[in-house]
Amino acid sequence: MNMKLVGGAALGLASVLVLSSCGSGGSGGGTQASGDGTVTLKMVAADYGDGPGKPNSGETFWKGVVDEFQAANPNIKVDVQVINWNDIDKQVATMVQNGQVPDILQTGDYSGFVKDGLLYKVDEVLSPNVSGDMLQKFAEFGKVDGTAYGIPFVSSARALFYNKDLFQKAGIAEPPKTWDELKAAAEKLKAAGVTQPFGLPLGQEEAQAESFLWMLGNGGGYKDASGKWAINSPQNVETFQYVKGLVDAGLTTPNPGTKDRKTVWEDFGAGKVGMVNGGPMSIPIFDAAGLKGKYGVAPIPGKSGPLDTTLGVMDWIMAFNKNGHAAEIKKFFDFFYTGSAAQKISDTYKLLPVTNGGIQKLSSDENLKPFLDALPNASFYPFQDPKWATVNPAIKQTIGGAVKEDPAKVLGELQKVAESAS
Amino acid sequence: MKRLRALEPLAWVGPAVVLIAVVVLWPVIEMIRSSFLKISRFGVVQGGNGLANYEKLFGEKDFADIMVRSVIWVVAVVALTVLISLALAQLFNQQFPLRKVARWALIAPWAASVLMTAIIFKWMLDPEVGVINQIRLKLGLIDAMGGAAADQLGDASTAMPWLVFVAVFVSVPFTTYALLAGLATIPADVYEAARMDGAGRFRTYWSITLPLLRPALTVAALINVMNVFNSFPIIWAMTHGQPGYSTATSTILMFILKGSDIGESAAMSVVNFGMVIVLTVIFLRVSRWNKEVA
Repeated sequence: MNMKLVGGAALGLASVLVLSSCGSGGSGGGTQASGDGTVTLKMVAADYGDGPGKPNSGETFWKGVVDEFQAANPNIKVDVQVINWNDIDKQVATMVQNGQVPDILQTGDYSGFVKDGLLYKVDEVLSPNVSGDMLQKFAEFGKVDGTAYGIPFVSSARALFYNKDLFQKAGIAEPPKTWDELKAAAEKLKAAGVTQPFGLPLGQEEAQAESFLWMLGNGGGYKDASGKWAINSPQNVETFQYVKGLVDAGLTTPNPGTKDRKTVWEDFGAGKVGMVNGGPMSIPIFDAAGLKGKYGVAPIPGKSGPLDTTLGVMDWIMAFNKNGHAAEIKKFFDFFYTGSAAQKISDTYKLLPVTNGGIQKLSSDENLKPFLDALPNASFYPFQDPKWATVNPAIKQTIGGAVKEDPAKVLGELQKVAESAS
Repeated sequence: MKRLRALEPLAWVGPAVVLIAVVVLWPVIEMIRSSFLKISRFGVVQGGNGLANYEKLFGEKDFADIMVRSVIWVVAVVALTVLISLALAQLFNQQFPLRKVARWALIAPWAASVLMTAIIFKWMLDPEVGVINQIRLKLGLIDAMGGAAADQLGDASTAMPWLVFVAVFVSVPFTTYALLAGLATIPADVYEAARMDGAGRFRTYWSITLPLLRPALTVAALINVMNVFNSFPIIWAMTHGQPGYSTATSTILMFILKGSDIGESAAMSVVNFGMVIVLTVIFLRVSRWNKEVA
């Protein structure tokens, strides 16, 4: 009987051990300095590529960067976890909630971490010569109350892509500059048998971008000049009434409120869409679909003339102060911005650089020129307003209704969200 | 030694208890605790929040619609699944050539990942190139590809039936097999006796098969109720709950809220948890699960 007892107890103990080791397996955030003085930096980054296994995956890119860095700095290891854009915000939020923050985070926003003192200031983790080379306008957006916390990582801008073959077939001489010309061109495309004359992704993936581009065309935006939320301003209501007219006439993607930009860009690549708003990052998608050389890029049409500004999007890299390691992080950041890595990310993913030096290097690229020219005068989301974190998901989910139902009502509901969000 | 002996059962039961405590109870407690905390979108816990998360949740413009839709979703999917599975189980209980192949084929939708199935249906329904729309075009049901008529997932009135269809499609195999197992437990002599007494086919099914099948039916339906209520991948992959929130259920809303307010999302989870319990109790009451078959 003793054997039985011992066996049972051993089994029970073993199970408990297995369970507890499961529990600690999930802790990805901690970092350790081992006996020989090696420091491991834990980094979380977003995936700009087509996902795991693809040649341009984030894993592959960062492995290249890290290998080179580690060869030059044998005492520092960098452990990169790449997460796709759909999940990264939620996963990082879970890490923060559980107190398992990484040392370095590269994602779309930094502002929410500042208030609680989770981040290093930029001058603690970046050399002055590197931060001095940043585009000043971008660096300004990295500041909260005058102190810089977010380091611009990459940027992008938007312009109008049009299918040259379809334009020729429909007898359109040049890309539209005004809303009236846009409508006329769309009608000609429709008559020529194009199913989606204007690609309009107002679905969850990036409705806030497409909407913003249209708002800019009528002098509107998410906020007014004084910095107050103005989602249902008369200009914006008028804008969406105009877009709704296009939708009702069948001149756009059907049911825009349910279409993601990825789908619409793929449709453009497949030659089903006459024109669509896109950015440098859509170029690889169009080229891969076989449209290389058959599309043109033009400024986005506004109500009475082409936009003199466009949507600029900036992504950020930041350092958490929980584990210390400021010196090691600084080495890594300086390496990234002064070495070949920053340019490699622009080349691989057609993202725009954030440093003066980087922009000069790219200025000879014909396809990227319109976007580089637009960057200095770009408009940005009001992401520094903490309410944006609540307003943005609401826009993504519901703004498509503004081209299906009553624009004033839908925009009014979003304005209410912006005014009440805490 | 004797005392140690008395503790022996603990060694056997202990692991299971620990497992349940760690994997089931602890997350539930954490979920309830989170629902009373103020947590930013970035995961920073900013202290207690009282009932504010719940007030905000119940104040959401679309909340009532979403809850009603969730219940309709569960009732529709489970009812259709059970009805179809009852018929299929009868069919597969008969002897016919290639029965084994047919039974294996039925497993396919069950074995495939639900997310994969949902994405495949989304592709088949693509307005530009989807195969279902090409068939509809050939049949003359739509005039052309690419327009609003070919975009069934773009409007709630046509998207909802498709979502229900896919949910039934992936639920039927399990339910059918559960019922098939139930049918196998009904002894043949009961049917023989019924035949001797001159009962017709319908009467036999109604008075013998269904009552004796009730334990299997109850378990199968109950598991479906919980699964379907918590079902996420089908709706998320096919519509994201859009347009607006018009195809969202409470599970979808919970996930969307997680992107803006984690505390409110936790409150939605707690409400969901309560809903599942309520639905289960109602279901068990209605099906009188613990009453012996007369």
